[in-house]
Amino acid sequence: MGERQGGVIVGLWRRFDSLALRTTLVVLVGIGLVHLASLWTYQHSLTRELDLANQARLADQLLAIKRAVMRVPERERETVAHDMSGGPIEAHWSLSEHAVAGGPGAGEWEALGRRLREVAPEIAEDGLVIGANRRVVDDPHLALISIRLPDQSWINVSLVAWNARVPVGHGTLLSTTLMAIGAIVVSVLLVRWLTQPLTGFAAASKELYRSKEAVLVPEDGPREVRALAVAFNDMQRRIGRLIDDRTQALAAVSHDLKTPITRLRFRIEDVAEPQARASIAADLDEMERMLDQTLAYLRGDRADEEIKPIDIVAILETITDDASDLGHAVSLDGIANARIPGRRLALKRAFGNLIDNAIKYGCQAQVVVEDRPRNVIVSIRDHGPGIAPEDVERALAPFVRLEPSRNQETGGFGLGLTIAHAIVEGHGGSMTFANHAEGGLVVSVSLPKAQLPT
Amino acid sequence: MSRDVAQQAQPIKGLLPSSFEVLVVDDDGEILILVAKFLRSNGFRVHTARSGAEMNEALKHAPVDLIVLDLMLPGRNGLDLCRDLRRTSSIPVIMLTAKGEETDRIIGLEVGADDYLPKPFNPRELLARINAVLRRMRSPDQSSFERSGRAMQFAGWRLDTLKRELTDPRGVVVDLSTGEYDLLLAFLEAPQRVLTREFLLDAARNRSIDAFDRSIDVQVSRLRRKLDGVDDLIKTVRGAGYLFAADVTRG
Repeated sequence: MGERQGGVIVGLWRRFDSLALRTTLVVLVGIGLVHLASLWTYQHSLTRELDLANQARLADQLLAIKRAVMRVPERERETVAHDMSGGPIEAHWSLSEHAVAGGPGAGEWEALGRRLREVAPEIAEDGLVIGANRRVVDDPHLALISIRLPDQSWINVSLVAWNARVPVGHGTLLSTTLMAIGAIVVSVLLVRWLTQPLTGFAAASKELYRSKEAVLVPEDGPREVRALAVAFNDMQRRIGRLIDDRTQALAAVSHDLKTPITRLRFRIEDVAEPQARASIAADLDEMERMLDQTLAYLRGDRADEEIKPIDIVAILETITDDASDLGHAVSLDGIANARIPGRRLALKRAFGNLIDNAIKYGCQAQVVVEDRPRNVIVSIRDHGPGIAPEDVERALAPFVRLEPSRNQETGGFGLGLTIAHAIVEGHGGSMTFANHAEGGLVVSVSLPKAQLPT
Repeated sequence: MSRDVAQQAQPIKGLLPSSFEVLVVDDDGEILILVAKFLRSNGFRVHTARSGAEMNEALKHAPVDLIVLDLMLPGRNGLDLCRDLRRTSSIPVIMLTAKGEETDRIIGLEVGADDYLPKPFNPRELLARINAVLRRMRSPDQSSFERSGRAMQFAGWRLDTLKRELTDPRGVVVDLSTGEYDLLLAFLEAPQRVLTREFLLDAARNRSIDAFDRSIDVQVSRLRRKLDGVDDLIKTVRGAGYLFAADVTRG
């Protein structure tokens, strides 16, 4: 049971996983506890004070009754006693005592007796019995005080609802509750104000990952946050410089290789043997593809192409037509038009890579375009070995090929998926991999129809 | 000099390519030698230059029909040279570049180049482009449109010849393969005229030498599908070829 409760609390804690929520929760619980404790002590002391005051008043009243009754002749005593009743007490004069000690409220009555003797010893000079009424012994609310007069007669004072206390006003509860609510509101605002920069950091680092461009966070706020912001911006700039350096180096090499490849293309015109010429040309083709993919990878989704409404089906038609012209088994089904905002050449490259992969590793490509309310889904199925779920992450990493044994056969050097993934993400879309029940890999690309932020 | 160049820009020569003179401008000596050798073996008379200054010098002394101009040159680059050249002459220019970014291609065409070839290119591709540009120069009205207007419009559609981009009446960009683009361009250059299969095949093949082995009928049906399946636009003329039925406006 305790364990289950613990589980519930941990679960709840996990659900409240934002800093603002957690702080609010802690403040709420803390203020609640303090609130309850202070309310309890306040009420407790208030009750005590009231009791003391009541007892003192009672003692005074009893003393006054005793003195008054003593002074008058016996036949008037009952009248005087009755006249002096009032409030919670009702006094009568009689020859015998009506109270009997003990009973359900004995402890309390004893305490009351002690107190009365203490405040006004005169009351108890001739004898004092506090207890229940002889006739109604078991009513704890009806205390009966019997005071003996010097002449052995008795004044019996019944105390109605002795335990009834003046209720604590709702005002106290209201004011403390208001105070607590105020404190909570202030703490929520404070926490939000403190955590706002942190949210900014998260957004900036995501943006750095997405666009590979530094989004500097404002360097203000409390000293600690300011220091963090400065360090964070510095880190962003350094990462940016590293990426730029790497990109420039790789781009320079790639560009510089273009001229020698062009020269080689001319030189093989002189190669007489057709067999040798064809294989050199094929090698040059492969080198060119690698350069092209490398440069596309370096460009990432930062291609200088503008976003326009495009027909994604027309792009897929071009790619599948070209592939089938080259003798590959490709098919295209689904809707005839699908309009999305996008970069035409980038998407053509992305889907070209995906369909190329399907042909290379899965012998054929079955492309299906589906129209959904918010997205267009393009799924590409092949009939190859598929990708194990644990390899998906690796397959998306640059320069990784999942099947080293097939390198020679399939060519390429592991950028196709990386580029396609970057382009799809750059369009606010997503790419998922699943293995078809009847074998083969299904790559599903979801592209949003809504306008993209530029 | 400007008058010389302007006069040379109107070559009225025979149809044999052997009589055409080509000026190749590149700072890479090896490329110059190789390209010159290749073009000579294909019947061209070839001049070479390593810089803008050498290019201008060569233009003074030879009746050049076409310039193959590298974009990256020491001193003034290819874009500047092309822009300068266009002020005084309409000699066709094919721009070469190792950059290959889409914007570079567009800028190259905007400063007045007639075509643009990214490195590394295939010798046969260069040859095909040279022939295509020279062929277009032979008919004066066609040579001028490429430079003056960058867009052609028909039946609500629009073809941007700089960006090589087709836009449908709703403003959606429709992708075309190289073959489909060339085919559509051939239709747009000669609307309301019956074009034979041979002519269309030739027109398209001249620009791109890559896999255009599919019969022209397949290409036409693909192009029709891209044009939203509007059969009326491209009409089949039984036994003769095809006819582009819409009116084409330029600019």
